[in-house]
Amino acid sequence: MSKRSFDVTRLPGTAVIAMTCFVILYIPMAILVGYSFNAGKVIGNWEGASVKWYGAALQNQAFLNAALNSLILATTASVISTLFATMAALATTRTEKFRGEGAIHIILNQPLMVPEIVLAIALVIIVGQIKQMTGYTGLGFLIAAHTTFCIPFAYLPIRARLEGMDLSLETAAADLYASRFYTFRRVTLPLLAPGILSGFMLAFVVSLDDLIISDFLKSPGQDTLPTYLMGELKRNLTSEIYAISSLLLLLSVLIVAGSWVATRKKD
Amino acid sequence: MLDIRGLSKRFGYGKGEVTALHEVSFSIAEGEFFTLLGPSGCGKTTLLRLIAGFIGPSGGSLVLDGKDIAAMPPNQRPVNTVFQSYALFPHMTVGQNVAFALEAQGRPKSEIDPAVEKMLTLVQLLHLKNRKSSELSGGQQQRVALARALVAKPRILLLDEPLSALDMKLRKDMQIELKRLQRETGLTFIFVTHDQEEALTMSDRIAVMSGGRVQQIATPRELYDRPANRFVAGFIGESNFLSGKATGGVVEVAGGRIALPDATDGAVTLMIRPEHVVLSANAPDALQLEATIAQLVFFGTDTHVHLTLSDGEKLVARVQNALHGGLSLNEGDRITISLPDKALRVVKDEEIAA
Repeated sequence: MSKRSFDVTRLPGTAVIAMTCFVILYIPMAILVGYSFNAGKVIGNWEGASVKWYGAALQNQAFLNAALNSLILATTASVISTLFATMAALATTRTEKFRGEGAIHIILNQPLMVPEIVLAIALVIIVGQIKQMTGYTGLGFLIAAHTTFCIPFAYLPIRARLEGMDLSLETAAADLYASRFYTFRRVTLPLLAPGILSGFMLAFVVSLDDLIISDFLKSPGQDTLPTYLMGELKRNLTSEIYAISSLLLLLSVLIVAGSWVATRKKD
Repeated sequence: MLDIRGLSKRFGYGKGEVTALHEVSFSIAEGEFFTLLGPSGCGKTTLLRLIAGFIGPSGGSLVLDGKDIAAMPPNQRPVNTVFQSYALFPHMTVGQNVAFALEAQGRPKSEIDPAVEKMLTLVQLLHLKNRKSSELSGGQQQRVALARALVAKPRILLLDEPLSALDMKLRKDMQIELKRLQRETGLTFIFVTHDQEEALTMSDRIAVMSGGRVQQIATPRELYDRPANRFVAGFIGESNFLSGKATGGVVEVAGGRIALPDATDGAVTLMIRPEHVVLSANAPDALQLEATIAQLVFFGTDTHVHLTLSDGEKLVARVQNALHGGLSLNEGDRITISLPDKALRVVKDEEIAA
């Protein structure tokens, strides 16, 4: 070859800039995790290493309740939103072009664009009225709200996967005596699985992380991990918060890593 | 066994309507190797997809064994396809790919396993049964696609340019392999290609298509010797075309005259293959013309002689190279050539899409 192709890694200073960015991104989290092993009670005052705050957190009933709520909420919301997202993705890629397809695409992705606080305020009005009328104050409202904003996060990877799939595979299945349902079960679904999995994981993490909508909609005494942490931060700032935050961080990292591994293996 | 009656297909509607297939009618016999040949956009793939059931016809009927299957969905038709891209299921092994059709039909496992083994043996791939289909070479994928389409014993096997993705050498081998498979299974094959050589070497009969119409259906030999019109003559093999004027069965071309009873009065087009042009004046019953040698092109087995006639029209002759001594011809020579009347054909223009 007469001309070497442009390669950004060959530019001078690339390594330095990249390392600086990584450090800036991850140093706060590293400090957080570091201080979660602090023996002292007061934040930012190092008094030796200890795991006692992890022990304290695991015996804190309020934290455990919040964690359980978060898990139930994230699991339910991401399962339902992944289901809807899969159906929506199939409908927008596996049908002939229809009127309003573009509009559907925009509407589906709208929760990504609308400021979360606006959605929260809109929901709090409706939910408040329903709570008054029905007297129901359970997790249902949070599940419904989380499902709503999780759909686009699940939809995007699933749709991307469907668009990359060779359409002639489904034609071939139909040619080989497979009914539509059999084709879906034996061909479309297995090939789509990595997309569905990463959609599900993404929705799960987004739900697990949500603070604003959860804080607006929760009933009294109801807490998710983020709302619990927010409350604790306002009242008593101890190293236990660092331990809890570290656990939350670990969960997110595990999920993202799991999704990455699952998607990679299937290809 | 398969009767295609007035089958047509239009895509789009209103001003954007395109007719991909104009009322095509013909029949295919049991056990025949039938080829749909034509340039891209001629409607051959549309016709194949109609037979497979991937698209529905705009009109006409498709009668297989006395039953109209035109409205039947593809999974109910006893017709299987080998796709141009092979379309093997990437998440399945070779064995699972081949078993797919039988499993979809709900056959028992005791019947599926031996059938799959038998099919893989037929295409010489039994040793790769547990390999993922994405790990195979192009030629191997091709044979898996064949085995997968044949395992459920379809009435007709459709092949959509299955050899176009293979390199030259492999393509020649697969041509022989396909022909062998067809003889051994006794199945009816409908083969789509744009490669005339592929069509000529493999087919029992060929339908030459252009502009959504069938131009001619004939055996390879007949297509070559007696093309029905100018399109077929130009598409199959090499041809020279000469325009002339006919009066009472005598055609006048570039200063020469010859009696051709086929010619109807008026402007006519004559066709002759390059190997039939004689480079001397002494051939009996021939049209004799004065020509200048414009160029000599050496092709190994033969030499192409490019000639310019007295009225400026061009003509190519093909002369076989002898072992000893060259051609006693030189560029710029003026010679008399003979076009034997048996080799001259009056050709009509093709049916142009309305």
